[in-house]
Amino acid sequence: MSANRLSGVFVACAGLLLLFLIIPANTETVDYGRMRPQTIPDLCAILLVAFGVLHAIRPRGEVAIEWREVWRFALFATIAAVSLFLMGRFGFPVIAPVTALVVMLLIGERRPVWLATGALIIPAVVWLVVVQLLERTLP
Amino acid sequence: MPDMDVLLAGLSDAFSLVNLLFVIAGVIVGQFVGAVPGIGPVMAMAIAIPFTFFMPTLPAIAFLVGVNKGGLFGGAIPAILMNTPGTPDAAATALDGHPLAKQGKPVKATKMALYSSITGDTFSDIVLITISAPLAVLALKMGPVEIFALMIFAFSVIAGLVGDSMVKGVIAAVFGLLCATVGIDPEHGTPRLYFGFFELFDGLPLAAVAIGMLAVSEILRRLASAGSTPRSAITSLDGDDPTVSRVSWAEYWSCRYVMARGAVIGTVLGAIPGIGSTAAAFMSYASAKQASDEPESFGKGNIKGIAAAESANSAVMGANLIPLLVIGIPGSIAAALLISAFKIHGIQPGPLLFEQQGRLIYGLFGAMILANATNLIVGQFSLRLWTRVISAPESVIFSSALLLCIVGVYMSTGGLFGVAVMLVFAVVGYVMNVFGFPVVVFIIAFFLGGSFETYLTQTMVILDGDLTRMIDYPIAVALVVLALISVWWLGFRKKG
Repeated sequence: MSANRLSGVFVACAGLLLLFLIIPANTETVDYGRMRPQTIPDLCAILLVAFGVLHAIRPRGEVAIEWREVWRFALFATIAAVSLFLMGRFGFPVIAPVTALVVMLLIGERRPVWLATGALIIPAVVWLVVVQLLERTLP
Repeated sequence: MPDMDVLLAGLSDAFSLVNLLFVIAGVIVGQFVGAVPGIGPVMAMAIAIPFTFFMPTLPAIAFLVGVNKGGLFGGAIPAILMNTPGTPDAAATALDGHPLAKQGKPVKATKMALYSSITGDTFSDIVLITISAPLAVLALKMGPVEIFALMIFAFSVIAGLVGDSMVKGVIAAVFGLLCATVGIDPEHGTPRLYFGFFELFDGLPLAAVAIGMLAVSEILRRLASAGSTPRSAITSLDGDDPTVSRVSWAEYWSCRYVMARGAVIGTVLGAIPGIGSTAAAFMSYASAKQASDEPESFGKGNIKGIAAAESANSAVMGANLIPLLVIGIPGSIAAALLISAFKIHGIQPGPLLFEQQGRLIYGLFGAMILANATNLIVGQFSLRLWTRVISAPESVIFSSALLLCIVGVYMSTGGLFGVAVMLVFAVVGYVMNVFGFPVVVFIIAFFLGGSFETYLTQTMVILDGDLTRMIDYPIAVALVVLALISVWWLGFRKKG
């Protein structure tokens, strides 16, 4: 089964999951009015099932997955998530330079001037603008 | 006819010093990000929106308009000098721009792009200014039933035109609508799909979703693919012969028909939601080539090719705002981002804008004209600077952009929860892109989801729950029929 067709199956399954599990469990029901709180979410879920099935039967377009890019995307997304978590504990001034440095090193930057620019100067400028100039807080 | 005092007040706001400074800043930022391949004005607008939260309304909108206009021209610079379009819109510009640069005339190519971009953009702005108010008067005559039908029609056109599959477009639109239902139900006041997170009672934060899907998703993708493809060589401006580097009046005037045709194509396509500037640029380029006496010179450095592409892709910008201001439906992703900026400042786009916020709208029109003039002046003097920007390392650009996204969403949502939502939608956006589900359609549907539900509720009340009574509303019936025809034409016939 091609990835394109599989995406249709996934959408249809997600629609079913929404329709029978997620929407009923996370929507407070009301028995009056023309439009109930779950009407639009239910309608969306039904359409997702219908069009997901349609796409699984007659997939259109091309899907080319570059697995190297996918894995590296997952790596950078994880780094962003971890730095977000750490930012909540240690703050932007500590974690932002480290995050920028790790990201730059991972994509192959080795020139000291550019590393210093990205990891020290840019976070410092952001901090100055937001905290000192705009008088807003940072994590 | 607008009140003259409102019009003059709006224009005086537009030409105030503060507004002028924000327009200049927006144009500079736009040209800068347009010149950097991979960022582009849409990502810059998404990142900038949270920072405009703290500005007065008109300077905030004017700044974003400046970013968009500057970015449209900025995208042409790497297209001409590196054969790598900074934005997809500039791909057609590279067809003749890069060969001309390789012939030793990079400055002439870039200046032609600048002049034709300003020409197309100004034409489109004049059309917007002229027709949007009368159209808004017509739109005000429509009731909830007609507007609901109009939204169905707009969704069907956008889903059919964007991407390579109608079904994928519909799935993206439905997913966008579903995400818009998160939070308190507008009719009953009961929470929906909040998964125990009380932060979601107000719905998914607009800025977090937009920045996640449009900016962070692309930044992480660029980081993931960094180093896998070598960067193209930059054609140096230093080798340009000063005697041939300027665009003479005769050369500009010789392109008048090409630019006029491009501006009309861009304006017409821009007014239709979902088509976009890339299609306009290629269509204008093809028609200029077809109409030319020497079509074989196209693709080999003909300045008319540059003029055709740039006038059309820039003309789309002003026209994109016609459906946004007239009926509250964005014609493009940039217009959708402007909706979020309007909403952040407590303004609901749509025909009532001309009645309730006339001063702001005429201020916006003034700022657009101002941005065109600024674009011309900044573009004239900063060309050599932007060629340095093109050579800045991706490592610094994308790591800085990531930090700005985190900070921007933190400021606009007031906590790390919003930043987490942004990250989740960055992953969602990437997955949608990989499988060919159009993110643009998702964003537009998400932004319009609240209004869609409101109009559907009102329609159901008016029709007493019986949709067959829609027959009493001929305009609504016509729009629904048009929606069905567009689904058939765009979905099944055109795309096979």
